[in-house]
Amino acid sequence: MNAIQTLSVAIQKRFGRQRIRKIALGSIPFLVLLTLWRMNTVNEWLPPVYIPPMASVAEAIVILQDECTGLAGIFSMHQGCQFTNHVLSSMGRVGLALIIGVPTGIAFGVLAGMNRRISNTLEPIGVFANAISGIAWVPLAIVWFGIGAMTTLFILLNTIFWLVFFNTLLGVRGVPRALENSVLTLGGNRWNIITQVYIPGALPSIVTGVRMSMGFGWRALIAAEMIGGSSGLGFMIFVSASEYKIEEVFLGVLVIAVIWMITDRSFLVPLEKWTIQRWGLVWRPS
Amino acid sequence: MPPKLVVQGLSHHYPDEYTGEDVHALDNVSLDVEEGVFAAVVGPSGCGKTTLLNILAGLLPYHKGHVKVDGVDVKGPSPDRGVVFQEHAILPWRTVARNIGHGLEIQGMPGPERSTRTQEFIDLVNLTGFEDRYPHELSGGMKQRVALARTLCANPVVMLMDEPFAAVDAQTRITLQEELNRIAMATKKTTLLITHNVDEAAFLGDKCFVFTRRPGKLKATVSIDIPRDKRIWQDLLHDPEFVAKRDEILTLVREEVSPHGDD
Amino acid sequence: MATTSPSLSPRPRPVPSARWRRFTKGGGAELLILLVGIIVLWSTISSLIPNPSRYLPAPLTVIFSSSDMLWKGLLPNYVGQTIWRLVLGSILGLLVGIPFGILLGLNRTVSDMFYPILNFFQSISGIAILPIIVVWWGNSEQTVFTVILYTALFPIAFNVLAGVRGIPIIYINVMRSLGASNMRIIRDVIIPGAMPNIATGARLGIGFAWRAVIAGEMLVGKRGLGWMIFTAQDTDHTDQVILGMVMIGTIWILIDRFALRPIEADTIQRWGLVQR
Repeated sequence: MNAIQTLSVAIQKRFGRQRIRKIALGSIPFLVLLTLWRMNTVNEWLPPVYIPPMASVAEAIVILQDECTGLAGIFSMHQGCQFTNHVLSSMGRVGLALIIGVPTGIAFGVLAGMNRRISNTLEPIGVFANAISGIAWVPLAIVWFGIGAMTTLFILLNTIFWLVFFNTLLGVRGVPRALENSVLTLGGNRWNIITQVYIPGALPSIVTGVRMSMGFGWRALIAAEMIGGSSGLGFMIFVSASEYKIEEVFLGVLVIAVIWMITDRSFLVPLEKWTIQRWGLVWRPS
Repeated sequence: MPPKLVVQGLSHHYPDEYTGEDVHALDNVSLDVEEGVFAAVVGPSGCGKTTLLNILAGLLPYHKGHVKVDGVDVKGPSPDRGVVFQEHAILPWRTVARNIGHGLEIQGMPGPERSTRTQEFIDLVNLTGFEDRYPHELSGGMKQRVALARTLCANPVVMLMDEPFAAVDAQTRITLQEELNRIAMATKKTTLLITHNVDEAAFLGDKCFVFTRRPGKLKATVSIDIPRDKRIWQDLLHDPEFVAKRDEILTLVREEVSPHGDD
Repeated sequence: MATTSPSLSPRPRPVPSARWRRFTKGGGAELLILLVGIIVLWSTISSLIPNPSRYLPAPLTVIFSSSDMLWKGLLPNYVGQTIWRLVLGSILGLLVGIPFGILLGLNRTVSDMFYPILNFFQSISGIAILPIIVVWWGNSEQTVFTVILYTALFPIAFNVLAGVRGIPIIYINVMRSLGASNMRIIRDVIIPGAMPNIATGARLGIGFAWRAVIAGEMLVGKRGLGWMIFTAQDTDHTDQVILGMVMIGTIWILIDRFALRPIEADTIQRWGLVQR
């Protein structure tokens, strides 16, 4: 066996033959797409105003960052670093909204879910709040906060909070009453009940809620930035579209997709899998 | 010595969930359980046994009558009155050891001391070696043993048991009864066991309270004086004294079951 | 010795009907109180803040404006336009997505190949694509429609592919050993087997499409509910904004609860249980 064969066997053993096969096969359509893109530019099937050359998409980053003053400029959001500013704005909003929205959603969801009467009453409200999708809130948010960061943050927070709240409520409701009773008879107080019974019991639902709220939230954020924002990736692609700078639009869309894929794949899905897998082994919510 | 558990003139009504009608669950029930005594409450379905247990546990508020443990009125759930539920209710996301030690954890006992004490009870219920297993890996009988150990480990003044063996198969049930007997001998815990199984009541109880059908009243009290170390199913099945007592209880209960069997 | 319990039943009270009791037990009474409370709170805030007609019109104002718009026939028009776009986009999404998903799912290698890329396009929301389409086709009905179609298509295709892939190969082998043709296999095994996923994909796709319609109307400026609340905000008609939001929520609940979910549940029940 020559070196290549040895290496290939080693890689297969390490990562699993099936997995490699899936990764290899799965990348084919992407490679085909990229090839078609390149060929389109070379052969001029469609004019560049429709499909910009790959080079100009990459170049767009450089152009946008033209007056940027290096790393320090990036982190202080110097106005010359347009591209990174937009990226950081959007992601910063996500971070902030998560920090505020997830704990409050869980807190209210647990409190509401613990009491049958309250959860029955609030469930329809939660359903309705989720039904008015994040986007529909944008005009009202503009009325209240004007066009800008506050509006986009509000939309994101709104989406995240209601989804986390609702999923937590459902999760808590699914925990059998007998578990609460048993901890009560061991001398547990309210706090023990919440931390040792309801939150662990509702954990799968909570994690699902967080993942869903991220998915919907990211979309809502981009849309909100387009309609009522003044910074961020959504805003950037909308403005670029109105100036017919298709290469910037492509850049923005690609970045939006990549950010989501990375967040979902390397963070959210493993988190969900780990929780639900582990919890599924030990506990199946009713 | 005043009795550990005193119930006096307890009556209880509640509105039925579906029809809205008033259900008269308990009618002027009075009973007491002395320290170290293992009492059984037996009666037909619907005679209010579970209601009685929930009231004693402090999970159900009552308005007519008195319920006292060590002279203090029962006002709400407390580790003084430990409960073993029918559905065991052990936390699925905790290991056997962490479930059993849960009461001590809540009481704030520090880790090392807690581990030692927990281990005592793991061994007591014959679950040595299963400390790190999760409930879903255990059989029904083992789960119930975990529930039992958990309640005992928290050192309650009185132990209440709500049909603890109803959900296990007949073979396991007999084994668990003998184990419970052995544990009762070892711990001498004041216990009140609810069951609809007359054999179980007679086998385990020092005192058997027989209830009428709804509304539940105390019909009779039957004492069983067979010493604990003689209580083995194989022997008792043919023991005339046991059989006589068991039949007495059975007759009393049978009288309460309607001839049409729709209780 | 039989003991008879003394008759202790209290005077018979009139028993409320079962429906009423389910309503009150299920939190219905509390919900009504909560709703009334919300409306009262809303009215109070409206009357206290400066310039309520801009920031938070009172509930009554919203109701008046809704009857006004109904009377003028505007509201039904906008609702109709929005729903029309949704329905058209969804139907096309189903017509294209389902066969596409089935075809791709049939062969293991092919489905492994397309799984990631469908997943990829499913996660780029239609709204993110919209600016590209706007550059291509301007602010037209076509643009909005393409976005809706895109948004509905990928969740459907992706879920159908996953569903077909999940059918145990043994069923297909059995059919082959009975001499069944490919069409027969698709009809008798694949489609019923993938039904639950088709239903779920449809529900997801239509859900995303609904959001896309609203956003698309706002961005591209075609008349409909989304457009209505956007321009209402611009022209200081906040009461119409709130009206529009309530309509959007209500319509979605109606579509989801009374059309999509029952179909999904029914499909899963009929085919899912049989299959698994």
